[in-house]
Amino acid sequence: MAYIRKRNRSIFLIFLLPAILVLFLTTIYPMLYAGYLSFRSYDLAKPFVPRVFVGLSNYQNVLTTGDFLHALKITFQLMAITLSIQLFIGVGLALLVTQRLPGMSIARTLLLIPMMISPVIVGLVWLFLYFPELGYLNYFLSYIGIGPISWITSPDWALWAIAIADIWQWTPFIMMGTAAALTSLSPEPYEAAKIDGNTRWQVFRYVTLPQLKPVLVSLLFLRAIDAFKIYDIIFVLTKGGPGDSTEVLSLYIYRQSFTFWQMGVGAAASFVSLIIIVVLITFFFKSLNRDPMQS
Amino acid sequence: MSEITLRNVIKRYGAVEVVHGIDLDVEEGEFVVLLGPSGCGKTTTLRMVAGLEDVSDGNLSIGETRVNEVAPKDRGVAMVFQNYALYPHMTVRQNMEFALKPLGLSAKEVARRVDEIANMLGLSELMARRPAQLSGGQRQRVAMGRAMVRTPDVFLFDEPLSNLDAKLRTQVRLEIAKLHNRLGTTVLYVTHDQVEAMTLADKIVIMRDGHIEQVGTPEQVYSQPDNMFVATFIGSPPMNMIPAQVRERELQANGLALKVPPRFEGRLAEGQSVTIGIRPNGLSLAGAEMPNAAPARVEVTEYLGNEALLDLRVGPHELIAEVPALGRPAPGTEISVQFDPDAIHLFDTETGASLSR
Ligand SMILES: Nc1ncnc2c1ncn2[C@@H]1O[C@H](COP(=O)(O)OP(=O)(O)O)[C@@H](O)[C@H]1O
Ligand SMILES: [Mg+2]
Repeated sequence: MAYIRKRNRSIFLIFLLPAILVLFLTTIYPMLYAGYLSFRSYDLAKPFVPRVFVGLSNYQNVLTTGDFLHALKITFQLMAITLSIQLFIGVGLALLVTQRLPGMSIARTLLLIPMMISPVIVGLVWLFLYFPELGYLNYFLSYIGIGPISWITSPDWALWAIAIADIWQWTPFIMMGTAAALTSLSPEPYEAAKIDGNTRWQVFRYVTLPQLKPVLVSLLFLRAIDAFKIYDIIFVLTKGGPGDSTEVLSLYIYRQSFTFWQMGVGAAASFVSLIIIVVLITFFFKSLNRDPMQS
Repeated sequence: MSEITLRNVIKRYGAVEVVHGIDLDVEEGEFVVLLGPSGCGKTTTLRMVAGLEDVSDGNLSIGETRVNEVAPKDRGVAMVFQNYALYPHMTVRQNMEFALKPLGLSAKEVARRVDEIANMLGLSELMARRPAQLSGGQRQRVAMGRAMVRTPDVFLFDEPLSNLDAKLRTQVRLEIAKLHNRLGTTVLYVTHDQVEAMTLADKIVIMRDGHIEQVGTPEQVYSQPDNMFVATFIGSPPMNMIPAQVRERELQANGLALKVPPRFEGRLAEGQSVTIGIRPNGLSLAGAEMPNAAPARVEVTEYLGNEALLDLRVGPHELIAEVPALGRPAPGTEISVQFDPDAIHLFDTETGASLSR
């Protein structure tokens, strides 16, 4: 027995090795290297200058110049807008497509299409729609007497333009998850409520919503992580502009690293973002471990 | 409290008709049980009364009013579902309170009603638990409590005991009977279990394939079955059925000849095909010379304590007899079995209808 067990242990190490190797090369090593860089001065434009140790000055740079905090604020602003609207519309659509009505299964499939498109393409599509003079959006708005709106060229509208594209793409995700959860709820309690005379709103508020809560929390969490690292759509639509009005964290990091060639600063900003995400995750799992049925 | 009336009520799902025009009267305060094999349309009928299914045709009234088009909440009914249909995320108290929400009572009145019913059903200790933390019997009581807090005119039960074990079933059955005696509310109760039906019902409605086969008190459906279906469906072990022919004032079956009991005199035609029905306790052991006796062979005996069941072979027929356990014959013995003339039922073999009336 002991012999076999010992052999088994070495065998499973052999099987694990490729996965560990890939993980190390693609995730752990770059992360460690970024950690190393975040304490060094490294100008990508001068690759032969030695990368001297600069202590915490990169971190100081990130946390004290307003740019990082501004990007953080924009990121969370965008997250708040998109997540709340996606939740609202997504749950509404889920309630609609799970009704036993003709055409609902087709509608359900069609509504998933935005999610299947690459974000860069979504950005391009909306770029055409938002085009100030030639865009369809302003063209249609002009018919109802609105416009023209400088969607992506005005600092007041740019963030909303991005939010709309993101909402269009990711609301189906919330809808799909919610619809799946809805169809798994047992129908009898709803019949009981029907006989007792509870109103639709009461049933939704006190029967459906509490049972959906764990699923909604998970869906929102996944969306939050995505929203935290949003990049492609913004890069295509505004590149962070006008000015810095749509510069989210990932664009800030990109700009530090590959526009200003300040790899050290970029690495430090990445690490601060990583910490923020880790804190978010911990907070999330704490709230999940609390009994989801309570409150 | 209200009576329920069904007149020629039909239920169709698309082109398929599953309830074929049934007539039924449930008097005020009466306990009526819909009894029948699985798939015969009991649940469908109950759900039509509740308003969870549309009535395809016919008239359905509760009290004086036709309710075909009335919303479930306005029918004054409360329903206990087979799988209880409790709100899984709510405590027992919240489950009961939620049923009262539409009535818009004061918080004090809600608490009073909930506590009163909880006391009556012995739920007081469980009020803070959620359904997942309750046993089957406790969930069942919560489901009843939730139906009772609203003090409805009519209670509807759909197989409320089928998820309980045998012992608990007997216990809860008694509870339901007691509650009905106490509250006197009209009850329409669905089950496929004849013991439940016999013990609880004022009136039993026996259904088959979307038709009503017989309506009567438990005594009536047991001792005066209208047809062969009811005769074999009620009673355990089931009534023995023997195809026979009327010849010269005798019922002749293969290996068996019985005198036509006097009460059937003049009702039978010579040569008519009839089916003899006799319950296991209508058969007894006898000497060979007795009238209405036939030679039989004991195949199997089942000991039940006070009684024993004998699997008998009489000619080509397999019959079950219920005899005192003491002195029961051993398997393999040749005996003589006597048919009690008063226990004999006769049915028209063609139509299945009883010839007793
Ligand atoms: N939604 C439905 N669509 C089609 N047929 C149904 C539906 N519900 C029940 N039935 C059919 O109606 C018949 C009676 O069903 P039901 O009332 O549930 O029987 P029971 O409760 O007596 O077991 C069954 O044959 C069943 O298949
Ligand atoms: Mg049923």
